[in-house]
Amino acid sequence: MNKENLYGKLFELIGYMLTSARGLIDEPQLYGPFRLMDGVSRLCGYLTEESTEYGDFFDHLKNTIDEKKFVLMTDEEAFVHLLDETVLLYTGKVKELSGS
Amino acid sequence: MEVKQAILERRSVRRFQERIVKRELLHEMLTAGIWAPSAGNIQPWVFVCVTDPARIHNIQVVSPGMLGNPQALICICSDQHRAFEKAGRGGRILSMFDCAMAAQNILLRAHDLGLATCVIRSFNQAAIRALLGAPEHIQPELLVTIGYPVKKPAKPARREDVIFFERFGNDEEGKKA
Repeated sequence: MNKENLYGKLFELIGYMLTSARGLIDEPQLYGPFRLMDGVSRLCGYLTEESTEYGDFFDHLKNTIDEKKFVLMTDEEAFVHLLDETVLLYTGKVKELSGS
Repeated sequence: MEVKQAILERRSVRRFQERIVKRELLHEMLTAGIWAPSAGNIQPWVFVCVTDPARIHNIQVVSPGMLGNPQALICICSDQHRAFEKAGRGGRILSMFDCAMAAQNILLRAHDLGLATCVIRSFNQAAIRALLGAPEHIQPELLVTIGYPVKKPAKPARREDVIFFERFGNDEEGKKA
């Protein structure tokens, strides 16, 4: 993805974040974590296309989120488990990067 | 398709095939919408059908609840001038009920036609109104995204303990549930 396209995608993400912020005032509490997760998925999608040392991680994180995020509608506990799972995934990458 | 089958089999779908939805099918759905009941037969609704991918994309940018890749969408709006003129201050909430009933008609007809849908309220109403070029008294109430499903979602659980007979809390035999 060239810089102009990336800026275009980030511009759209800003729209998603702004309208989420306004909408969440009147929406169910669990929609907040969902929007943040969905935002992470979108961001990972943009960044996966960039060739960086993080590429595989972004791809894996995005797939993990997208496969399971809709369990929010049917199984709240499974959604919370997904949040925990992604935090651990992220933490694992932090450890790997720091060599600890 | 029997009505019962449509009611029981309809699902909210968010992943669609890259396949155009023919205009005649959208007309069928819109016709189902205008035949919904409404308070005092006010018919306070307005339907804006969008099929242009660029317009759908712009709507999606300001609609956090609109996920996936819909091939078409219907924005169900209430006409607040009409609602207020016919029903006074109560027109605001009645028109919301009416739009919801129109939405259900649209969903069931879509399912009958082999299409999949999802109803969305998580969008910015002012932004949608601006993108649709609608005047101030036209209030976007619901978006219905439309397309051919990639796969049918699993049957979700239903709460069974919400039905009573004769008195609140009584089961069918008249006993306390």
